[in-house]
Parts: sequence; structure tokens; C-alpha cells
Amino acid sequence: MRDPLRDASNARIAPKRGARGPAGPDPSRKGDGDHRRERETTIVWLTDPAYPWLLKQIHDPPPRLYVSGRLPSEPMIAIVGSRRATPYGCRAAHRLARDLSGAGVVVVSGLARGIDAAAHRGALEGNTPTVAVMATGLDRIYPPEHLALATAIAASGALITEAEEGTLPLPGRFPVRNRIISGLSLGVVVVEAAERSGALITARMAAEQGREVFCVPGSIENPLAIGGHRLIKDGAKLVQTVEDVLDEFPELARARARTHAHTHARTRTRTRADSGPQDPELFAVWELLDWVEPRHHDDLAVVMNLDSKEVSRRLTLLEMSGYIIGDCGAVTRRA
Amino acid sequence: MLARALCGTVFGLDGVRVEVEADIADGLPGFHIVGLGDRALQEARERVKIAINNSGFEFPGRRVTVNLAPAQLPKEGTGFDLAIAAAVVNAAGDRPLPSDAAWLGELALDGAVRPIRGTLAITAHLDRLGVRRFYVPSANVAEARIATAAPVHGVGHLRDLKAHWEAGAPLTGAPGLRRDVVSGAPPPVDLADIRGQPHAKRALEVAAAGAHHLLLVGPPGAGKTLLARALPGILPALPHQEAVEVTSIASCVGMLPPGAGLLEVPPFRAPHHTISPAALVGGGGATPRPGEVTRAHRGVLFMDEITEFRRDALESLRQPLEEGKLAVARTRGHAVLPGRFILVAAANPCPCGFAGDPKRFCECTPLERQRYRARLSGPIRDRIDLQVTVPRQAAGELLRAEVVVEASATVRERVIQAREHQRRRRPQGPLNGALTGTQLRKDAVLDATCQVLLETAADRLQLSGRAVHRVLRVARTIADLDDRLQIDESHIAEALQYRESG
Repeated sequence: MRDPLRDASNARIAPKRGARGPAGPDPSRKGDGDHRRERETTIVWLTDPAYPWLLKQIHDPPPRLYVSGRLPSEPMIAIVGSRRATPYGCRAAHRLARDLSGAGVVVVSGLARGIDAAAHRGALEGNTPTVAVMATGLDRIYPPEHLALATAIAASGALITEAEEGTLPLPGRFPVRNRIISGLSLGVVVVEAAERSGALITARMAAEQGREVFCVPGSIENPLAIGGHRLIKDGAKLVQTVEDVLDEFPELARARARTHAHTHARTRTRTRADSGPQDPELFAVWELLDWVEPRHHDDLAVVMNLDSKEVSRRLTLLEMSGYIIGDCGAVTRRA
Repeated sequence: MLARALCGTVFGLDGVRVEVEADIADGLPGFHIVGLGDRALQEARERVKIAINNSGFEFPGRRVTVNLAPAQLPKEGTGFDLAIAAAVVNAAGDRPLPSDAAWLGELALDGAVRPIRGTLAITAHLDRLGVRRFYVPSANVAEARIATAAPVHGVGHLRDLKAHWEAGAPLTGAPGLRRDVVSGAPPPVDLADIRGQPHAKRALEVAAAGAHHLLLVGPPGAGKTLLARALPGILPALPHQEAVEVTSIASCVGMLPPGAGLLEVPPFRAPHHTISPAALVGGGGATPRPGEVTRAHRGVLFMDEITEFRRDALESLRQPLEEGKLAVARTRGHAVLPGRFILVAAANPCPCGFAGDPKRFCECTPLERQRYRARLSGPIRDRIDLQVTVPRQAAGELLRAEVVVEASATVRERVIQAREHQRRRRPQGPLNGALTGTQLRKDAVLDATCQVLLETAADRLQLSGRAVHRVLRVARTIADLDDRLQIDESHIAEALQYRESG
């Protein structure tokens, strides 16, 4: 998994390249939040043939859309969730988005921190464009550290907003924006949503608009999973793999067929991966690890009765061969 | 009637020769000192005059003028008292003083001679200039003997000199070179006293062996401070040359206990996070004064809660971290001060302190976490080879009897052996922690297997060129600890666990 922190720091560095003098508040650097160096903004009116057909079907479609990039014509699925996501939630969103994108589905999300960003990043690894629906004007990327991400999205897909240039990230604009996310999509996948969260608003709007609602389950101990689990109780479909999403849409049959072959090939390799590493020394460590709960280096040393340098050696080799993920000295199995 | 007496002072950390000239002339009785002295030197008039009268001499009732040459050098402190008294008394008695003798010491009003700062640096400098006899305060004799082979006389009282000058009586000698293990720091913590934390303890061992800088990241109360305090206990004793440097610095800043000789224990300094840049790296008023960085020379600089330090203070560490010394410029001149230390920094993983804690939920947003981490800037992070996470210990862990606990003394043996490997490769050169890229190509040669492993790691973990160098430096030290000339796969694999984590 890519490190969201590191990516975020890149985003902060990027706009400074052209800046003069020391960093700090400088009113002349207004173009900072502006990702469009050479790309033009297009306005798509409701009456335009290019206006997304699904979005036109909702009861309050935006009269015009500001678009940076190219509006994809492929079917769309939204992935939304908490901004304060857990590493598990980010991984799930990333993987699902990557697989959807690989199956030819456009992933729609809101460019926010946490799940949204993980979904966009995952989708960028697939071969289908991704769409970010913003609550702000196209010249005000919010949050600012997602500038590089926004630029990458607009390069193949599109940034969409109904807000005019210069619109600030005001709290009231986000729920309104959510109706566009669900309106564009055949269905909405919720990954980690606390009670009373924006993601739940999107899910409710999707239901009102007659779109499918999906949910990736979390741990029952995780407060961020409560909202999503309530959706499942109310009839949202539980999602484990990309096929759980694709199965609901007959119009995605071809995408499903493509994924089918793909996942089967991968499941075969997965079963091999799931049986752990061949080397008995490495297997002994791998066996103690969990997919969700991280385990610390020192804990492993005590349980296995090994010294610290030996544990370090084995963990590095496991990480190199892709069996585990390390984070701040604590490790989990790579799913 | 004119008499001259040699003495010296300290500028920055270097000794400087100062010649005291006393002239007694007809005129109104008076006592004048010229030669750019500070307030302490102006007050020497009272001390010297009264001490002379209380020691069996008589202060001349004529016009006494004392000049301290070179006259343009700003002079600070009280170390000139004895030389001034010697010059005045002998000008009055019309006896020339030997030109190859130096007089150092502060006078009490009763004529007793008090210890001064910087004896070691001054003696070393004057010894190079050909001074062959030293008269120093009794408490500074051990220190002066480190720097010179010439006779060093301990002077306890001005009265003792009366007999010496007038009748040629010998002064009481002082004991020979003393080796002291005194240092200003509290006794170090033994590794055996720290429960659990095997990963962090191992990182301490690697840091000590190769003089690598270390960053401990962990929630409050995890034991970061305790670990840092254990580091001096596993460092080898200082080799002679380094011990002399450390003793001289301690003497110049007044941290050497009276009567102490050579300090062989590496210093441990732990400045508080409110410290100013000048106090940290050196500064002072008109003349350059060493800061904490110089006081930690050849030892450990522990910066607890490093993200709470002032930004400008942290950035001022860049030069010493890079070069092992720093240039301090003040209005009345500049000095290059030494500052090669092992930096041990401790920080929380995020503002709330619980990021990465399996049991507690971190409530910080990614942006808050990123801002917090950014307080330690890239150039500083780049110089820190080792980074480890120190997890909070569960109460059960603290109470459970541990099976294997290594004492500091055992670890220290391995550190000493690793240092020997490094000295064999580079007798003059830096320890592994300060190796440059070019030096690494020579010292850390990888075989094909290691090459592949490191390349895979660089690719998978997105390591920068600098990060690869950090891994190589650490792997070299781990191999030295393992008593191996060639770095193997396990050394690289272990080194990769000390890199910066997300």
C-alpha cells in the first residue's frame, strides 16, 4: 500500500516549486490551489448531450457542471467513507477501487481525506479514469494537500463541481455535493462511516435516487463501522470483493466476465499466498500475524523467544516478498 | 620599575597567550588596569590589592599601571589575578620574573588561590609556545598535567610564593596525572533495568557502536527517556585524545569538578526544549561561547520531545550534524567549536500520541499528523540513521519476570569490538555513522545476494538514495557488531527495520 502521508507531503511540495522567497502566507500566491496549469475548464449544461444521463434522472440535477478534464462515458460506481479512516478501511477502499477500475468501471468519490483519497488512488492504478466531485470551485482544491492527486485525476478522468470558481470549502456545500456523487453512479459503496457522517448522507441520497447501496463491513469494535453496519441491517449489500458489486448490475456483465477470468487467475495465486511463505523460519512468524490487528516487533520477539535482530531480519524478508505490511514497527499480513 | 608575568585566557575553546606588564612609577598612589578587560578584570584591582596586603607583601603606595597584552583582545574572567599580583609584587621588589613561566589563578581576599576555567586549554597552548614552568591553582594541577610535561606547581596561597621568590624555597608538588571518571551526568541507566523493548535496545546498541543518530518514536510513558539515558552506559571509554578534548571543553565551560583530571566518560547532555539556538549551538555576548552541542562533544546529546524545540534551534543543528563542528561568529571575533555527538531524539508519533498503538485509537487527522512530523525537517531527518518505534508496555509485561536480560556491560563489550573493526578500516577516519557515500562504496561492499536484496527493498519501499546510504551505514555497523568483515543478507535485512516508518 502506498503511504498516504508521504503522498500528501508531495502534494505540499509541488506548488512551492514556482514560489519565490521563503514559505509563508503570501497573498500573491493565489494560484496555489489551482491544478490547471494548461487544462481548460468546460461547462456542461443540463441540456447538453454530454451531460451525464444518470445524473439527469435525479429530481434536482445541477443546471450546469464545471468540468476539468474529460467526463468519462463508462459506467460509474461511487466509493465513499470516513475522512478519519483506519488503515484497514483505506486498504479496502484502495483495493476495491483498483479492481473496479481494472474491470472498466469509473470510480467516483469526493477527493476528501481518508477513504475518498484511497479510492481515487486505487482507481488511478487501474486502467479506467476516475472522477472526483468537489464541493469547492475548480480553482480551490480542498483539502490543499490533494493538489497532486487532483492533477493526476484530471489528467485521465475529471474533476467535477457545480460550484463557481472561487467557491470556498463551506460546510454546507458538502452534503449538496453528495447528491452528485450518488447521482452519477449506478451504486454507492460505503467504507467506514460513523453515525451521522457525510458518507451516510450519500448512501441515503443514493437510496432516494434509486441507486444500489453497498457496504464494506468493519470490525464490530470499530466506531467507524457502526454507520455502515446499520446500512447492511437496512438492506445494503455486504461487499467483500469487486464481484459482489458487479453482480448487481446486468449492464456490467461484460465487466464481470473480464474480472471473472482475472480474479480466478488471482485467486489461484492468492491461495498460494494465503498458505504463507515456504521458508519454515519465515512461516513461523507469518503464522502469528493477523490481517487486521497489527502486532508489534517486540511482541513477536517475546512470543517466539527470538532476539530482536533475528525478528528484524525475518520481518524484512517477509515484507520484501510481499507477505506482510509494516507500519510504525507493527506488522499485519498483506491480504 | 617594570616586571612581566605570562598568563593566558580562553577565546572560544582555544588558549591564548596573555602577557601581564606591571609598571610602578612616581605619582599619586593609584592602581590602573588597561587592556580591554571586562568587569571581572576591573574588579581584580580590589582583589589583587587586598590579597597582596594580606599575604605578607606590601602593595606599593605609588602609581601602579598594569597592561594586559595583546591589548586589542577582549579579556574575560578572573584567571589573570595571580599573574597581576606576581608582576606587581616583583616590579615593587625590582626582581625580574622568569620569562618561561606562566601564572594562572584567581585570588581570594586573604591571598588564597582559587581554581579557574580553561586551565587545560591555556596550558596546552602555552606549552606549545615554549613555556617551561607553570604555576596554577592547586585544584587545577591534575588538569594542567594532562597538557604539559613541564613542571606544574600547585599554588595554594600567595604567601607560599613569597618564600619561593625571596628565598628560592620549593613549592609543594602535586600528585601525578589523575584519571577521573567523573562526568556531570547522573549515573547511566543499566539496560538490564529496562523491561522489554528489545527492538529499541538493539537500536541503542547499533547507535553506540557506529555513532549513529537515533530517533525514538513512541507514545508518552513508553520509556523513551529511560532508553536514552542507558546509552552512555554502553559507550566505550574515550580514547586519550578525545578524553583531552572533552576535559578541555568541560574546563572551559566550568563543568570540570575542582581537582578533577582526565574525563574518560562520554558526556551526556539533555537540554530542555525551550532552549534558544545560541544556548544550543553556541553564541554568547561579544565573544563566542560554546553551547550544548559542544558540551556534548564525543558524547550524547539527548533531545526529548524534539518536535517541541524551537524551529530555529533545530535548524541550527544542521551544521554540527553534517560536519561535527560549527562556526560561531560574534561581534568580537568568531570561533570554530567542535560538536561531534550522538543525537538521540525522542518524539511522539502524532499530537495525541497514539498513532500506531494497537490498543488505542489515534484521533489525529492525517494533516495534523503530517504537520507534526514536518516539525522535524527533512535535512535533520536525513542525518538520523536509526528510527525505532517504542511501544507502550502493557502492565503485564512490566511485571513479568524476563528470561533473558542483557546488562549494559555485556552490550558494551560488543560495542567496543565493533569500534575496533571501524578503527582498523579507518584509523583516522570517521565512525560508520559519519561515512559519506564515497567512503561507503569502499567500506560497505555488497555481494550479489545483498545487492539484490537492497535493490528490491529500495524499489518496494520506495527508498531514496539517501535512505539507501542510511541502510548501508547501519548494515556496516551491524556487521561489525557481528564480528564480520563482509556484510551479509541478515545485516541488510536488520538494517532495513530501522528506517523511517509511515
